[in-house]
Amino acid sequence: MTEVVAPATPAEAAAALSDATAARASVAVVGGGTRSRRGRPVPPPDRELRTGGMRRVVAHEPADLTLTVEAGLPVAELGELAASAGQAWPQAEVRPGSTVGGVLAAAASGRERLRMGAVRDSLLEVVLATGDGRLVTGGGRTVKGVAGYDVPRLAVGSLGTLGVIVQVTLKLWPIPAATGWFGMEAPLPERLAAAGRALGGPARPASVLLLPGALAVELTGPDEDVVAPEGMAALDVPPPARRGRGLLEAGVPPPALGELAARAEEAGLGYEARMGVGTCLIAVESAEDVERARGWALALGGHAQVVDGPDDLRADPWGPPPPGLALMRRMRDAFDPAGVLNRGMLLWEATA
Amino acid sequence: MATVRAPAISERFVALLDRERVIDHPLERRLYSRDGSIAEGDCGLVVLPETTEEVAACVRLAAELDLAVVPRGSGTGLCGGAVPLHGGLVVSVARMTQVLEVDPEVPCARVQPGVLNLDLSVAVRHLGLHYAPDPSSQQACSIGGNVATNAGGPHCLASGVTAQHVLGMEIVLGDGEVLRLGGTAPDPPGYDLRGFVVGGEGTLGVVTEVTVRLMRTPPEVRTMLLDFPTVRAAGEAVGGIIAGGIIPAAMEMMDRRMTAAVEQFVHADLPVDAAAVLLVEVDGTPAEVAAHTAVVEAVGREHGARHVRVARDEAERALFWKARKSAFGAVARVAPNYYLHDCVVPRTRLVEVLERIERIAEAHDLIVMNVFHAGDGNLHPLIAFDRRDAEQVERVHAAGKDIIEACVAVGGVLSGEHGIGLEKRDFMPLTFDAASLDAQARARDAFDPWGRLNPEKVLPLGSRCGELVLDAGSLPPGTWL
Repeated sequence: MTEVVAPATPAEAAAALSDATAARASVAVVGGGTRSRRGRPVPPPDRELRTGGMRRVVAHEPADLTLTVEAGLPVAELGELAASAGQAWPQAEVRPGSTVGGVLAAAASGRERLRMGAVRDSLLEVVLATGDGRLVTGGGRTVKGVAGYDVPRLAVGSLGTLGVIVQVTLKLWPIPAATGWFGMEAPLPERLAAAGRALGGPARPASVLLLPGALAVELTGPDEDVVAPEGMAALDVPPPARRGRGLLEAGVPPPALGELAARAEEAGLGYEARMGVGTCLIAVESAEDVERARGWALALGGHAQVVDGPDDLRADPWGPPPPGLALMRRMRDAFDPAGVLNRGMLLWEATA
Repeated sequence: MATVRAPAISERFVALLDRERVIDHPLERRLYSRDGSIAEGDCGLVVLPETTEEVAACVRLAAELDLAVVPRGSGTGLCGGAVPLHGGLVVSVARMTQVLEVDPEVPCARVQPGVLNLDLSVAVRHLGLHYAPDPSSQQACSIGGNVATNAGGPHCLASGVTAQHVLGMEIVLGDGEVLRLGGTAPDPPGYDLRGFVVGGEGTLGVVTEVTVRLMRTPPEVRTMLLDFPTVRAAGEAVGGIIAGGIIPAAMEMMDRRMTAAVEQFVHADLPVDAAAVLLVEVDGTPAEVAAHTAVVEAVGREHGARHVRVARDEAERALFWKARKSAFGAVARVAPNYYLHDCVVPRTRLVEVLERIERIAEAHDLIVMNVFHAGDGNLHPLIAFDRRDAEQVERVHAAGKDIIEACVAVGGVLSGEHGIGLEKRDFMPLTFDAASLDAQARARDAFDPWGRLNPEKVLPLGSRCGELVLDAGSLPPGTWL
């Protein structure tokens, strides 16, 4: 039986982890649970640490464009708070129920990465409760700073395997004067040409999405700049997110993305290619789909990870390990010496 | 660790490179015992490899001989990060100056670490591209050094510091292993080691190649000079512009003393009678530039700006930026030496901290001048002094300590873009508790379990839990800081 632990404060989270390490008990970390079907399938953990009780707003400084919150706070609530000051956290990819810590642990960058940058660039300070129950602060709360090693960047994308993200300071951005989505349906060569024109400027689009049979562009800025590009029409709503039984996230050099999308389209797989960024979300139904699509990404100089899906799609969720795996394992040992956190989630760990 | 003085050791490195790329003449070694800071260390041998293989061979030999390895770019760093201690081996990448590849489709450039920052932007200008981080030293500083310190610059306000522009790298670890981290394909699986190395100050490895993101040069740029009757008014205008819902491309402030020194140097017709001058640049589409210019002008005038001077053409814009970026050189007209600080405070505390710094300088009978990245609260108070006057030097250090403590007291951080190095190492406990310093030390040890790379920098002695320190906080004998 999995024992549920729901700390109300960072100190309680640290104490719970200290205890887990002493007992050598495996711990699964759960925020909103929207990105938990990742990594290798594992036996039920001894304990489940839920972060939802840690949701205090610690400091909100609208004039500094910074916000410090406990990481179990739902992103939707953070968004409302920021919006009350005309600000937003545009780098995050939000699903219904996502928590701030969950988005950061998964390095889930949103569709506006093209213009606003990756979500890892928005984290100024982090407090981690390490696997053995230390509370470690990295970075600083000012909008700029290089004091000490970049523990925040290490925490982003670490999927809870170094520590539980318990508190963060984020850099916010002003909400632009106007925002609009525009779309077209056309054969692939025409869509690729239109994507190239959108990326080439002069406006800097927030997002250029290549989709099966369609292209969607998000423009932001003053009203004069938010007008339909040639051959495109305004969309009432942003394109819906791609869903299959599972989701594969591929990353390839941005110039190769059109080629990857072409192969997915030819194979009849749903996809969302974030042009200019290099990320492609591919809807997969079977382990064969995973293997096939990963093969294309690898051949194009990239990689592909299963970021959501049932157990049968996650027998090999990562593909080949990157250079530096031994170093990464030493890094895990430095933060979680007993290896209790999210076993099997990352680092090609055996799960038996 | 051993030192490299024995001639036999020098010959071992000569066998790897050749005689002219191994420096062991005492006078030349003395040059490499310093960087752009006021610290001076003890340089053993200097090697000048030209390829990754040569760097790896030098590091492997250093490991065999148990020598510390101190990576060095152009030596323009301001925190003593490249200053060798105890006769360590300096691995200079100054000869690794090739731009290996430019891919305008990404767009990105793959460069050797010795490529100078400005040279890269010049090399890609014809493609309508540029490299965004632009430290004031950009004519002299190297990309490798920029990676080590996570360098910034005026244009990092909107586009971010070096860490946001490094896509991938090749790095030689302390045992000579060569690793490629990151690349143009986003978010490779595993931890973001690439992001961790940026700002690692040469303590994690020797970076031998860097793939940097390039940015499209915006279609329109407007650069404005606003002059204010008080520093307070200028500081409040900075907050007002941000509160107005825009992040300008750059927003810099110069105080009266600095403006006067710079004007004598560049003759840009700067308002030398103003208490503070703001240099604000906005860019983007014509509509964006028009909208953002309107905000800057309105907020500026609301806070008492006497004039808003818009650069008429590219030549005048270049002149404004020359004034900003030659500020540190212009200090030579005031005193022979300067000690440049680098702290960040919340934007909302800018004015009170500037006033506090002025009082600190007065209390120590020193002249402080200010030119800094106001938009992100990154202060650069500069103390002009004469290092031949030992008593004055003592006052400079005392004032420096007071300035750092004043910044931290309002929620600031120790460095915005220069790094920690030797200079601020012993101030780290002001902002990090013991558990956080210990965690940083463990993370560093994961990269360099041999303790080979740039030892004694960044983290104060005693950061590791249980580390035995007889004389905590003291620098090695012979180190002049």
